[in-house]
Amino acid sequence: MRTNRIAWLAVAMLIAVPLAAHVGSPDVFFQGDAGPYQLVVSIRTPQMIPGVAEIQIRSSAPGVRQIKIVPLYIVGEGSKYPPPPDVLLPSKDDPQFFSGKLWLMASGSWQVRIEADGDAGSGTIAVPVPAAARNTMPMQKSLGALLAGLMVLLVAGIVSIVGAARREGQLQPGEQAGPAQKRAARIVMAGAFVIVAALLAGGAFWWKSAAATLSDRMIYKAPELFVSLVPGDQMILHIGDSKWHTRRPETVATPLMPDHGHMMHLFLIRTPQLDRFYHLHPVPDKGAVFLDDLPPIAAGHYQVFADIVRVSGFPDTLTAEIDIRETVGKPLSGDDSTVTAAPISADSQNAKDARASLISSLSDGMRMIWERAPGPLPANQLLWFKFRVEGANGKPVKSLEPYMGMAGHAEFVRSDLSVFAHVHPDGSVPMAAVQLADATLPAKLGAPEASNSPAKPEMNMPGMAMGPIGPEVSFPYGFPKPGVYRIFVQVKYNGRVETGVFDAEVK
Amino acid sequence: MAQTVPFGISAPSAERASSIAHSAPIPWFVWSGIVSVSSICFGLYWDISWHMTIGRDTFWTPAHLLIQFGGILAAVTCTYLIFSTTFSHDPAVQSSSVKVWGFRGPLGAFLTAWGGVTMVTSAPFDNWWHNSFGLDVEILSPPHVVLGWGILGVGIGYLVLVVSAKNRATGAVRAKLTWLFLYLAGLSLMLHMILISEYSDSNLMHSAVFYRVVMLGTPLLIMGYAIASQHKWGATIVSAIYMAVMLAGLWGIPLFAAQPKLGPVYTNVTHMVPMGFPVLLIFPAIAFDLVRARLAGRNKWLLALVAGTAYLVTLIVIQWPFGSFMISPPARNWFFGTIYFPYQEPVSMHQLAYQFRKYEPTHAAFWLGLGLAWIYAFLSTRIGIVFGGWLLRVRR
Repeated sequence: MRTNRIAWLAVAMLIAVPLAAHVGSPDVFFQGDAGPYQLVVSIRTPQMIPGVAEIQIRSSAPGVRQIKIVPLYIVGEGSKYPPPPDVLLPSKDDPQFFSGKLWLMASGSWQVRIEADGDAGSGTIAVPVPAAARNTMPMQKSLGALLAGLMVLLVAGIVSIVGAARREGQLQPGEQAGPAQKRAARIVMAGAFVIVAALLAGGAFWWKSAAATLSDRMIYKAPELFVSLVPGDQMILHIGDSKWHTRRPETVATPLMPDHGHMMHLFLIRTPQLDRFYHLHPVPDKGAVFLDDLPPIAAGHYQVFADIVRVSGFPDTLTAEIDIRETVGKPLSGDDSTVTAAPISADSQNAKDARASLISSLSDGMRMIWERAPGPLPANQLLWFKFRVEGANGKPVKSLEPYMGMAGHAEFVRSDLSVFAHVHPDGSVPMAAVQLADATLPAKLGAPEASNSPAKPEMNMPGMAMGPIGPEVSFPYGFPKPGVYRIFVQVKYNGRVETGVFDAEVK
Repeated sequence: MAQTVPFGISAPSAERASSIAHSAPIPWFVWSGIVSVSSICFGLYWDISWHMTIGRDTFWTPAHLLIQFGGILAAVTCTYLIFSTTFSHDPAVQSSSVKVWGFRGPLGAFLTAWGGVTMVTSAPFDNWWHNSFGLDVEILSPPHVVLGWGILGVGIGYLVLVVSAKNRATGAVRAKLTWLFLYLAGLSLMLHMILISEYSDSNLMHSAVFYRVVMLGTPLLIMGYAIASQHKWGATIVSAIYMAVMLAGLWGIPLFAAQPKLGPVYTNVTHMVPMGFPVLLIFPAIAFDLVRARLAGRNKWLLALVAGTAYLVTLIVIQWPFGSFMISPPARNWFFGTIYFPYQEPVSMHQLAYQFRKYEPTHAAFWLGLGLAWIYAFLSTRIGIVFGGWLLRVRR
């Protein structure tokens, strides 16, 4: 028995595979109220930081005349002096639509302050924008050819000019270059060519090394996550170091803070079928270690996504993989939840049929309806995902209850696990970051509850659902790329967390 | 034979050119060079200040436009000089030129044109670099070095144009051309010092790296220009021009109100931020000129050894205590300029400007660095003697 356990532990030791930041879904989608105006904001962050983000804002009602945007850090020294705002004017075709560009000059935990002015007065809202460089761009072949051609021209040019300088440059006007000058010029040209070639070789070495250094310094890398299981069905999660983070001590490498009352939101998704889903909340132990007493978990290979938020508002999604033998565990409790679904299939006809299904069964005969037209969805576009919960009688339920303070939580997962996004009705950014950014608004700074303390994030967040919700919940989100996605929609009803599962084909 | 062959001006013959040498005006392309190089240098200073004060901006900032104007003026001038010489039927003009790829023109015009093409080449390279690795992460990036080579080409090209005109001229024209040459040389020294400014901060003046970096190229340029100018105080004047321009920037540019355009703003900047107080190059330059006068006609290796050593020792003797002063409270005023910080500099880091950085981790590394600085000074001076001798002999 003991031997078996050791063997099991050995198998269960994870293979940590860090994926890209935000796991393939870096754009920000957000809705909120800037005073009297409800705004829906989408921010497409650049591949490389410093770089330019594209921002689009839609007002739900007419009357907004102009919008000002200011990017600044949420916390730290860089948050004290806002630069002058950029003014966005309404589109000629659609007066409720505004768009513009936003410079993000450094990686870190940014906010964009949006001030809307219009018929009903003015109002300001702060949208968190976690900025991190994702990729360097390879040189296009045409540009490479152009630069190579220019290099050849310039090398030939400077060698020829040096030759001309030696051959004729020192002759008195009218004097002709003799054989001695011509021979000397040839020698000098050969020497110049060798020097230029050496300079170019040194330059190429430097270029390669500078590019590698910059890539290493600039490109976001999530801290490694080491996951293991110990007897007693306890999961140990150890967050490793990340140089990318420690290089940014002020706005990134800060301690963790709770989001929706939990220091970590852990998602276990069985692969490759995505047919088992667990949303758990490990508790912090010593150092960078978290522990979770697992509930009963079906055996299989699992992808691990762990969402954390730092006191700067900067979020990380840590990833790992682990093989789990069936656990007995403890019954689900608190905010933990799970769902079992049919296997996802990326390309079969059955999968298409499944994707056409807009109904997901819940417990006790209840069901969740995805309110949308059938057919594929577009990628790279802000979409609204609206879901209605019906009772066993087929009628909409009276009122959903807040689940960790929100009307709902939705997890968008691409079939190949290259995209994972945890979204709320207010958008794709952590609500803890929203609260932090909101507390820095000039109007809030004087308010007694807005102290220097980073947060009481679990309570009274902007956008939190505190009262009756109704039978529907909706989420703003945009798929980052085409593919087949599975959406887990989580709501609470009658004190129980219900999870609807839907598949979507994105083109 | 004293003569000034005016490229681009109809000159019927060398004899005629000789006869008008004393009264001939300064060739028009010399003035074009003065305007062009001044535009590039002042534009570059303004642009650096713009980046420290306002931040990344559009391509069409006045500072960028000034640099581009300088480049375009250089390109137009040199294209005209090359084509007018190539297709000229005047043997005097043709015979005062060099031939490159079938074209004829003044040597300096070809060099300037090469610099212009190199500057243009750096633009798409720099754009790709920014897209790939971020915007203006550092000054010394490969595309910026290509741009630097381009600017150097334009600068050296104009210096050659002017020095060849000077070398051919006599009398008052030669004297005027000497001063114009020294002015251009001062600006070119300024460009060089801007390039190494990351290593010439006050808080590095007690580190060997400061002296190592200064010795790498500065003696070469100053010795070369001093020899080519044939002025007794050539090195001193060139260094004085560099310092005067930098001081004018230090004292003048903060008079203009400005504020950062992009966050994160770490220091609340309200006026244009200047570059730092110039390195006190005038003092080692005086030593240079004195040694040059004393060892005139002697062995060039000996000259390089003595002058290079004198240059380094004088710089250390002057700059070391000046560094101590610069990090002290009395220097924190508009005159010495240690009160200015770019908007990207966190306030909590300001105190670092008032402490010496220990660049070399050990005493051995420090003394090794100073030893290298001495070798650089010697070799750089020796190459400068070759460079100056060549400039002095340029006739076309």
